[in-house]
Amino acid sequence: MTISPSITSPERRPLRLVGLLPWLFAGVVIGYAMLVGGYAATVVSFALIYAVFVTGLNLFMGFAAQVSFGQNAFAAIGGYVSAVLTATYGWGPLPAMVLGMSAAVAAAAVIGFPALRLKGHYLAMGTLAIGLIAYEITVEWQSVTQGYMGISGIPPFGIAGYEITSDRGQLVMLSLIVAACAFAAARIRRSRFGRALSAVAGSEEAALALGIDVSRYKLMAFLLSAGFAALAGSLFVHVVGFVSPEVFGLHMVIVTFTMLYVGGIGTVAGPLIGALIVSLLPETFRAFKDYQDLAYGAALILLLIYAPRGLASLFAPRGRS
Amino acid sequence: MSRLRLEGVTRRFGGLVAVDNVSFDVPAEGVTAVIGPNGAGKTTLFSLISGFLPPSAGKITFDGQDITGHAPQSIAARGLVRTFQLVKLFEDLSVLDNVKVGCHLHGKAGLFSALLRPASARREEAQVEARARDLLAFTGLAALADEPASALPYGRQRMLELARAMAAGPKLILLDEPAAGLNAEESAALSRIIRRIADDGTTVLLIEHDMTLVMNTADRVVVVDFGRKIAQGTPAQVRADPAVIAAYLGAPEPSDTESPSAQETAHG
Amino acid sequence: MADWSYIPQVLVSGLGIGCVYGLIGIGFCVIYNASGIVNFAQGAFVMLGGMITHVLLARHGVPLPLAALIAIAAVALLGVAIERIVVRPLWNRKATMFVMILATLAAQIVIERLTLIAVGDQPKTLPVFTDRPPLMLGNVAVGYQFLWIVGGSLTIVGLLAAFFSLTRTGKAMRACSINREAAALQGIPVSRMLALAFALSAALGAIAGILITPTQYTAFNVGVPFAISGFIAAIVGGFGRPFGAFLGGLLLGLLQALAIVVFGAGLKNVAALSVLLLFLFIRPSGILGAAK
Repeated sequence: MTISPSITSPERRPLRLVGLLPWLFAGVVIGYAMLVGGYAATVVSFALIYAVFVTGLNLFMGFAAQVSFGQNAFAAIGGYVSAVLTATYGWGPLPAMVLGMSAAVAAAAVIGFPALRLKGHYLAMGTLAIGLIAYEITVEWQSVTQGYMGISGIPPFGIAGYEITSDRGQLVMLSLIVAACAFAAARIRRSRFGRALSAVAGSEEAALALGIDVSRYKLMAFLLSAGFAALAGSLFVHVVGFVSPEVFGLHMVIVTFTMLYVGGIGTVAGPLIGALIVSLLPETFRAFKDYQDLAYGAALILLLIYAPRGLASLFAPRGRS
Repeated sequence: MSRLRLEGVTRRFGGLVAVDNVSFDVPAEGVTAVIGPNGAGKTTLFSLISGFLPPSAGKITFDGQDITGHAPQSIAARGLVRTFQLVKLFEDLSVLDNVKVGCHLHGKAGLFSALLRPASARREEAQVEARARDLLAFTGLAALADEPASALPYGRQRMLELARAMAAGPKLILLDEPAAGLNAEESAALSRIIRRIADDGTTVLLIEHDMTLVMNTADRVVVVDFGRKIAQGTPAQVRADPAVIAAYLGAPEPSDTESPSAQETAHG
Repeated sequence: MADWSYIPQVLVSGLGIGCVYGLIGIGFCVIYNASGIVNFAQGAFVMLGGMITHVLLARHGVPLPLAALIAIAAVALLGVAIERIVVRPLWNRKATMFVMILATLAAQIVIERLTLIAVGDQPKTLPVFTDRPPLMLGNVAVGYQFLWIVGGSLTIVGLLAAFFSLTRTGKAMRACSINREAAALQGIPVSRMLALAFALSAALGAIAGILITPTQYTAFNVGVPFAISGFIAAIVGGFGRPFGAFLGGLLLGLLQALAIVVFGAGLKNVAALSVLLLFLFIRPSGILGAAK
């Protein structure tokens, strides 16, 4: 549904069909949740929110091959701006979400300008620090965020006065948003902008030699990624109706990286597939919350060692994904 | 007017002078070759011209405009595009997409046209596609368009890098040892392609070890040794120049095994 | 607003915590020098040092000194296990630095969660090593635990200096940090050095954790903040210089203590992280200049 190449050579057609498999899988899972409703719908809804976040992460880390351990900071900004404006100041969810995303992108611009000059483990630790600072602020700025207590009573999204409160209604809304995100990612991939990101990923020197402003594209990818993160954060608070600092903590970093690697970093379908699989597996095994992060961490280590290209890469033809 | 002018260009690394007070002109027409023994400072010279290294002293003028110390991407945007001695392809992209990246400077489409795909963006994309396919045909890679770049044999990778650089539509193309690692046949094909690029109006400046290629292709030769220019002239003039003969015969056996043909011809 | 008469007292506690940051920072440098890897699981060692000692002491009645020794040995073993299970396979595959960082961070989470399952989420502490009222120097109270921390840290630093300059193994590790290929050519078993570096680094973390726990507390999730502080110490000292890292730790401890006076205790981590970002953005090579 989102792959629309301008020119397709005939011998590639079978591969295209294989490329549809991930979407088919996602459709089946979401359809099942839609039918069953209730708890299944809740689990899949959370997975879809994560898919939005991971799609953004993938733009920055998969498409442009950059590193950030701190994108949860932007989810926190999006989530808390949304929560505070609606629950405390009585704004509507939509303008609050837009302002939250703008605030996150603005913060990303301020941070990204110096941070993206860093390399290697400095960049890794610098971005990790940004995520931790955001966490500490959500804990400590109690007059606004109410600290560990969190903010409750956040209104759900609505269209023309009709609030989307049912499990199925939210599932439909989130599915449409995720589809739009995946569509955007697919279009970016096949565009001048996306090719420039791939060039930055492939060889910064070669990209420069072809006139590509490498630092500008890195920053753009970072801002985009922050925008997706803020959207996910905002979606979360309106769907759940509650936010606390733990939502956007280190837990989120590990979970989303696991999703990215399970689904396949750098692919269009990967974020959605990864988010669904990683959210569903612990549920199928009925594991407790305590064991979840343990499982994510262990799974991530195993993936990094044994399947660094992820599961979705099995479906994507090599070299273009 | 000359396409490129170097005046007293110097680059030091700590105490080492890699490029020492080099001046020469590259006319707009034809092929100019920079030759010299290994470690003579040729690649450093290219990095200075293309903006990857700032010179310690001197002035570089491109089409009458001072580009000394400018950033590589803005020098490329002026129409001065380089290739690399060790091929730097975008390995995860297809052959076609590599060349499309080369077209970057000829497009305007940004993030919003990527998402919305207005008619102007579709038109631009079609032009890019056509231009990229033309260049693949020109370099004999048309049949490999959909292969991942990393799957190409070495000689083809070099050709692809050339096609990608030409996609940028340069006024001056810098080729850093384009024949390194090519067999005699590939080298001859490359020589013909370089000639055609020059005849079509793009200035070519190349560094080369393969003397057959230089003698067959270049209109002018600049010889550097120990970072200094020691000779300049037509291939025939340079070949007869005693300073050049001394530099090559006096130099220790060239240590790079990338281009075995360079060794035979350099001494011949 | 801030009460400045507390300053000397604050500086004392800052020096104490600074020593601990310094030890953790040295741990980062030891592994980095041996392998070029930044081990993001460093905080787990610190947490486990205090936690294992607590469990042995409180649940099994093992006397404190023995409990501490067992904890240090156990954590050192864990360091080797991480090296074998997580780092080695990636190292052999020549994985990118980012993948290595992510894998060690995941290892940190796994250890954290296992600890949570084993001992629960309640903070645990250790008794002070010497239970006496603090010494009074003017109006500055100097607790005996502070003396233990400073004395212990300085002893460790001294022993490390001797180890690196006097013993064969220590010299071999230093050779690896200067040039791994050359060291390998000289017959130094580089891969064994990597395991040894993890063991040494883990033991350092455990010691830091045991020293600090009586003055604070330990819980399954204290590791990451300690690791970040240790990393900041290493950066301030110029990454890859163990003794620079110790000085960096002292500096960070003092700065953080001052930040608590000025901004309140809640923002001490924000203050430390801001120091990190400041150094990264303005002077990434540290105060002393980075090694290599």
